[in-house]
Amino acid sequence: MTQKELFHIAQDWFQQQGWKPFPFQKETWKAFLAGKHGLLNAPTGSGKTYALWFPIVLNYIKQNPDYKNKHKKGLKAIWITPLRALSQEIKQSAERITEDLGTQMTVGIRTGDTSTKERAKQRTAMPDLLITTPESLQLLLSSKDYKKVFKSCSAIVVDEWHELLGTKRGVQMELGLSRLKTICKNLRIWGISATIGNLEQARQVLLGPISPELENSVMVRANLQKKITVKSIIPKTMETFPWRGHLGLHLLDEVVPIINNSKTTLLFTNTRSQCEIWFQKILEKYPEFAGEMAMHHGSLNKETRLWVEQAIRNESLKAVVCTSSLDLGVDFAPVETVIQIGGPKGVARFLQRAGRSGHRPGKESVIHFLPTHAMELIEASALQVAVKENAVEDRLPYLNSYDVLLQYLTTLAVSDGFYPEEIYPEIQQTFCYQGITEDQWQWLLNFLVMGSQSLSSYDEYKKVEVEADGKFKVNNRGVAMRHRFQIGTIVGDATISVRYQKGGYIGSIEEYFISKLTQGDVFTFAGRNLEFIRIKGMQAHVRNSNKKTNKVPSWMGGRLSFSAQMSELLRQELYKAAADELQGSELKSLQPIFDKQRQESIVPKPDEFLIETFKTRDGYHHIFYPFEGRAVHEAMSSLLSYRISLLSPITASLAFNDYGFEMLSDKPIDIQAILDNDLFTTDYLLADLQKSLNSNEMARRKFRDIAVISGMVFTGYPEKGVKMKHLQSSSQLLFDVFRDYEPDNLLFQQAFTETFEHQLEEGRLRLALERIAQQNIIWKNCEKPTPFSFPIITDRLREKLSSEKLADRIKRMTRMLTK
Amino acid sequence: MKITILNQNFTLHPYGALFWHEKSCLFISDVHLGKVSHFRKFGAAVPKQAVHRNYVMLDEVIQTFQPFEICFLGDLFHSSLNKEWLLFENWVAKTPAKITLITGNHDIIAPEKFEALHIELHEEILTEGFLLTHHPEEKEGHYNFCGHIHPAVKLKGFGRQHLKLPCFYKTDKQLILPAFGEFTGTYVLTPQPEDEVFVLADQQVIKV
Repeated sequence: MTQKELFHIAQDWFQQQGWKPFPFQKETWKAFLAGKHGLLNAPTGSGKTYALWFPIVLNYIKQNPDYKNKHKKGLKAIWITPLRALSQEIKQSAERITEDLGTQMTVGIRTGDTSTKERAKQRTAMPDLLITTPESLQLLLSSKDYKKVFKSCSAIVVDEWHELLGTKRGVQMELGLSRLKTICKNLRIWGISATIGNLEQARQVLLGPISPELENSVMVRANLQKKITVKSIIPKTMETFPWRGHLGLHLLDEVVPIINNSKTTLLFTNTRSQCEIWFQKILEKYPEFAGEMAMHHGSLNKETRLWVEQAIRNESLKAVVCTSSLDLGVDFAPVETVIQIGGPKGVARFLQRAGRSGHRPGKESVIHFLPTHAMELIEASALQVAVKENAVEDRLPYLNSYDVLLQYLTTLAVSDGFYPEEIYPEIQQTFCYQGITEDQWQWLLNFLVMGSQSLSSYDEYKKVEVEADGKFKVNNRGVAMRHRFQIGTIVGDATISVRYQKGGYIGSIEEYFISKLTQGDVFTFAGRNLEFIRIKGMQAHVRNSNKKTNKVPSWMGGRLSFSAQMSELLRQELYKAAADELQGSELKSLQPIFDKQRQESIVPKPDEFLIETFKTRDGYHHIFYPFEGRAVHEAMSSLLSYRISLLSPITASLAFNDYGFEMLSDKPIDIQAILDNDLFTTDYLLADLQKSLNSNEMARRKFRDIAVISGMVFTGYPEKGVKMKHLQSSSQLLFDVFRDYEPDNLLFQQAFTETFEHQLEEGRLRLALERIAQQNIIWKNCEKPTPFSFPIITDRLREKLSSEKLADRIKRMTRMLTK
Repeated sequence: MKITILNQNFTLHPYGALFWHEKSCLFISDVHLGKVSHFRKFGAAVPKQAVHRNYVMLDEVIQTFQPFEICFLGDLFHSSLNKEWLLFENWVAKTPAKITLITGNHDIIAPEKFEALHIELHEEILTEGFLLTHHPEEKEGHYNFCGHIHPAVKLKGFGRQHLKLPCFYKTDKQLILPAFGEFTGTYVLTPQPEDEVFVLADQQVIKV
């Protein structure tokens, strides 16, 4: 069949739906059918699934002209989605095409939710089109004779690639692709990404930086202009604007008319606990919403989530309080309005959420921004500009993630075994490992086989074995089983499933929260008040309760930092305030705050760097305001405290947000000494930063994930009830053991490199310090906390550090009589 | 750090060992020997040099006190037999003191193996008004030395400072020893006002 005829089939189908294909869809079809790889840049709700499902089906039709009568079995294409919640949606759109065009193609899903029975069925007969997640793809690679399964596969689509890029799931995907390139004949690789700052790099990472695939690839841009309107919810009076809490509940009444005025409203919160609290408080104050309002976050059980998603589509809900769990994919046409509660911490994310409303080509998106503290109004003002300029962030891809590579190699050893000389060239072609050396490769192989770099007599290390012909293979069934349990790169705290005594599963909560409960305690979860009965195995038993409670589970989650662009915009807004040029309703409403700030301190101008110090009953506060975004502040505070410790030993807790950072100590820090000794210098920056990492806990935390991903710590599988207590150890202990005995271990080193590249952003730090060098330092010794300082000093998530002797610290402390 | 219980003198060592001067007996709890090897046997690559650390620490405390007897208060070995047993045999052979083991929940290695090394095994020992056990226990008229818990306490200070440190935990009826072993976790206890707590801080024992 010619390309023209194929196109006709597709266009006819669009006509039958009363649609017209977009230019970007046609462009993608053409490129795909011409055998090209590529990256499609298109937002959700733009018809991107049809841009790629169509050519996949058309390609099958082309190769099987008798497609209506005969069905050629075997896997044809894989669709990777980062969220398994999206898989149903994707399946439906695929089935529409395969059925309407009269092919006999089958579509199947394989994720963590897929039943064992279904999986076994797939093993004997794979569906033609398979929708799966990066983790499940790895699991397929860990099964025997996996090569046979993939042999006939001719396309792989990685959806929401921007969500994977910049995470270790992305690295996992790179490795999976490197294998598929070899074992699938004529594989086409396509990615779909929303707009990010580094789209070109995104394509390189997907296809490999020096690969023939990259050379034979295209970038297709949808270029759909979406009109986005941002409306800030501004409190009527600034005086009554509470500072604490960071939940935004004081503006609850302002939200109600917005909900009433549109068909369906999504309220995005930044954390799951905030989501629970908002849901509860709205219902408490406006019980009339009962039945018309729901909650959606990642820890709720699957049935609830699916029910909510379906209810949104049916237009049976007025409002849904949700988290990033609804950021992606799912096509929710009825959503008219979106409310963002608290700073979204990123332009791309904000745009994505805005895009959830008016989720149809051509419709306007409206997003309301609800600040949770006064300073966020400055952020709102900056977001207005960012949306106008489409100033989206980069997603920084990982380099040399040895932990993921070790996991992948073990995966291959578990299935059919691998020959290093075959795998090494594949690895070298990936973006992540483009710089890997022979020595490092050999180190990793030694580590797999011996658990170290040399053999010793009493050692019984057992994992991968080298067979006589040089094949690396796992022959121990226990090792294989534990490895399959542990495939994945998302490391969370151990979670405990929450159930009713009679069995109903409600969701999962981190062990950390449950461990603080005693029998009879009541907490709010999934919108219900639950009484804690007991822990049994990895399950918490609960019953419904009528008691009121303030206990809401908290989930530790990563906090995002402002990008360089966003920080720059934020500073510009602030400088407007400093110059008393209050433009825009957000800044104008902040007048009383700026006045109050000026009473105690100043609003810094472009050439000023502000430091504030004051004492409260918590301790001595020292606050620095570079306005450079959380990541840079984290690095700067780490650097500064290291340099201070060279003058005299200190113990401090550090807090940072996007405006500045705080060092809280039980003794005052000598600011004059900091200035006199030029501690903000860029000299010896790298060396000092490196040394500073030894005295704080950042690298330790990174190491936790690395230890789990590389298989050094076994986390067990609570849902499956597998008990591995005798193999569980804390990664904290492991970190100490490595520091003391194997500091040159690549995985231990990786913890530091990652802290450096992904957390501290040394490059941006240098620029920030250079800027500070040009500024006048204004040190204000204040009587009491200033408005600028409030969001920082009330932050409970803190980094600890100390360069003092333990015994000296203990003398100033008292034992805690309560938990 | 020296303390007196029932008119007997004891020294608390920063590694978590307890020395009874009158009897020249050294108490050590929860060493969890073989833990590193056990992990490695199951494919978790804990640095193998860490294996030797426990023996170095044991030798150090023995050197310090030159005890006539060493009494392990349970959980001497972490799990089933592995090749670290050979290292343990060597260590026993060169250690002159008499060795006793109060068996703990982790001690699942066959008693004959210990007996072959002339190590006495007991579930509990009653001596001079002291009750030696692995799990904390109470017996009228006896003072209990035990382990099992791996006790630690949290300290707090001005400037929102917090510390978690392993400790000897002493009540009027009981002294719980910290875990001696490297690579063992801790459990945080909340002290009652009348309890005494001795934390292990670097190379010191400090009463808090």
